[in-house]
Amino acid sequence: MIMDVDFLFETLLKLGRAVPVTLSLVGSTLLLGAVLACLILALRVSPYRALNHAARLYVFLFRGTPLLIQIFLIYYGVGQFQIVRESVMWLVLREPYACAVLSFSLCTAAYTSEIFRGALRSVPAGQIEAGMACGMPRWTLWRRIIAPITLRYALPAYSTEAVMMVKASALASLITVWEVTGVAQQIIQQSYRTLEVFLCAALIYLLINFLITRGLALLEYRLSPHLRARRASQAS
Amino acid sequence: MTTTSNPGGVAALSVRDLHKSFADVPVLKGISFSAHQGDVISILGSSGSGKSTLLRCINMLETPDRGEIALDGEVMRMKRRPGGGLKPVDVRQVQRLRSQLGMVFQNFNLWSHMTVLQNVMEGPVHVLKHGRADAQAEAEKWLDKVGLYEKRDDYPAYLSGGQQQRVAIARTLAMHPRVMLFDEPTSALDPELVGEVLKVMRALAEEGRTMLVVTHEMGFARHVSGRVMFLRQGLVEAEGTPSDMFGASGPERFLQFVSSQHHG
Amino acid sequence: MAQAGIVEMLGFGPQGWGQVLLLAAMVTFLLTLAAMAAGAVFGIAIAAAKSSAHRGLRALGEAYTTVFRGIPELLVIYLFYFGGSSLLTSVGRLFGGEGFIGMPPFIVGALAVGLISGAYQAEVYRAAALAVVPGEIEAARAIGMSRSQVWRRVLAPQVLRFALPGLGNVWQLSIKDSALVSVTGLAELMRTSQKAAGSTNEYFLFYIAAAVLYLVMTTFTGRAFSRLEAHTGRSLRRAAR
Repeated sequence: MIMDVDFLFETLLKLGRAVPVTLSLVGSTLLLGAVLACLILALRVSPYRALNHAARLYVFLFRGTPLLIQIFLIYYGVGQFQIVRESVMWLVLREPYACAVLSFSLCTAAYTSEIFRGALRSVPAGQIEAGMACGMPRWTLWRRIIAPITLRYALPAYSTEAVMMVKASALASLITVWEVTGVAQQIIQQSYRTLEVFLCAALIYLLINFLITRGLALLEYRLSPHLRARRASQAS
Repeated sequence: MTTTSNPGGVAALSVRDLHKSFADVPVLKGISFSAHQGDVISILGSSGSGKSTLLRCINMLETPDRGEIALDGEVMRMKRRPGGGLKPVDVRQVQRLRSQLGMVFQNFNLWSHMTVLQNVMEGPVHVLKHGRADAQAEAEKWLDKVGLYEKRDDYPAYLSGGQQQRVAIARTLAMHPRVMLFDEPTSALDPELVGEVLKVMRALAEEGRTMLVVTHEMGFARHVSGRVMFLRQGLVEAEGTPSDMFGASGPERFLQFVSSQHHG
Repeated sequence: MAQAGIVEMLGFGPQGWGQVLLLAAMVTFLLTLAAMAAGAVFGIAIAAAKSSAHRGLRALGEAYTTVFRGIPELLVIYLFYFGGSSLLTSVGRLFGGEGFIGMPPFIVGALAVGLISGAYQAEVYRAAALAVVPGEIEAARAIGMSRSQVWRRVLAPQVLRFALPGLGNVWQLSIKDSALVSVTGLAELMRTSQKAAGSTNEYFLFYIAAAVLYLVMTTFTGRAFSRLEAHTGRSLRRAAR
């Protein structure tokens, strides 16, 4: 099969114009999602049982149902009600982009909170006790000891989650957000050249994922000088 | 070798009738003692006798069920908890008193994401609110004192156990504690590394610091401490100077314990 | 015309979508089953490729997992649906047919989700194979078992046992991915709830109903996997808590 280079080039350009939309979707989602995840984690580890259960229910619901349903519920479902349409929330909820970011964030928050929770449990208890034994107030303990160590443990798993969100961004095309997959589908339907368009789009996503995983790996490397292999010149 | 100084004044640390149970299993059954300034007290006993629990109650890492703890005359204020046991009244008082009590842990517990220097500076900067520059200069002084100035920019993971423990001691010293608590400081160390830590501890004792040391090192107990406390089943079974305790006429159970420690 | 009440809409009566939804859930379940089966085949092949001594095979395996874990599932489905249909249409034209031949949605779905789940299953099988203690294989060989016997009696059962937790995760992933097959028009749960919502304007109701059905499926299969893990893992000693 001879590939039409012009077509490939043209397609790449068209898809390229949609890349900022994809990137901003992913960026906003990861940001909002991380904040929400911290909130859910706080509930999850809180001493109050009711809050615990609320957080567990949240994670259960958002991890047990398809993201597509969550998107449709927020975009179509919630907007069905008169009360919502008349409230200030409608300014947000009637925009497809905002609905996409909202539902993606709620979903990733569930997964991210579990990643943070696992990382939190791995923080060596002794180091927390050493902080307490110095007389550190709770907030200082969190800020200086617990959070930095939790972050370092969470980075590998978080990298995987970030890639999941890049893939998820494609679903925004199903509620009329013109990101890369949406534009790709449009080109396919117009040109019937599925394979070429697929290749272009796939390439773009793979590139984005590569950059994200590399970026996070670099961050992990920078934050963990203490975890790297011991230097050969190490003398005791 | 230090002797009790200022026997008539306010005790640096006073513990009265301390009780602690874990899930209905009593571990401390009423311990009382006082440490005056300059006292170096070794706390000995077999596992399960409550030695570590005692130390951890003093700096409130565990809350006692009954009893009173006072540092330089200031009593740790506690109130009854609904389900039994006690609870500190003022969290800030706990934090303040903790900052005046230093603890050296069996597993060193250095903060892995910070360098050695940062570990020693952390308390002074973020708890005592000292300026960075002052804290750094002091930290370097303490590291030099324990012999680890060259390692100040290394991460704990690169240091041997003995080195890490010495950094931990420097970290505690940087807080200018009134009383230093040592929870089996050499138990997690390879035998060859024990000596370097004991050397530092001996120097501290000779300076006149107030130290409570839970240990299995009989040599330290016998030759460096001024007082020996033998714990058994949650109570102070015997107490006295090293010559009283280790001598031929010392308490029987204690001498049995000592000889059981000298196996192989 | 009076709008039917919620109970009626979800129920099994003439205005009720209940039966249709349950059938659609069954389609989802079967689709996922087919996808997992296909994925198992791909997964084992790729796991073998990645563990092989041949560099080209390893690269192929790497490429497969990178691609199918890295590109959006929706894109894969579009590829098979539109691409497959174009292919079929061209083939049909060769035989003198006219018009558009669509790729059967169920096959598209099972293939697409299967390829994706295969990429994840490959990792699960690889990790599981690495977890088998080499000594046990040596012991089997030492008593004279043939290669296929070692595989059948020692390796495969253990790999399966270690793979179960990971496979449980992939299963849940695949159930959720199956919802994307709705873009092909297949009457699975997502598409059906969409149709119900559209025709009654009760979006919230039917999407919640679908969500509940998905939750039921993921929860019960999750429990089934846990039971299976407990049963096959009974010879493993858990660390003391």
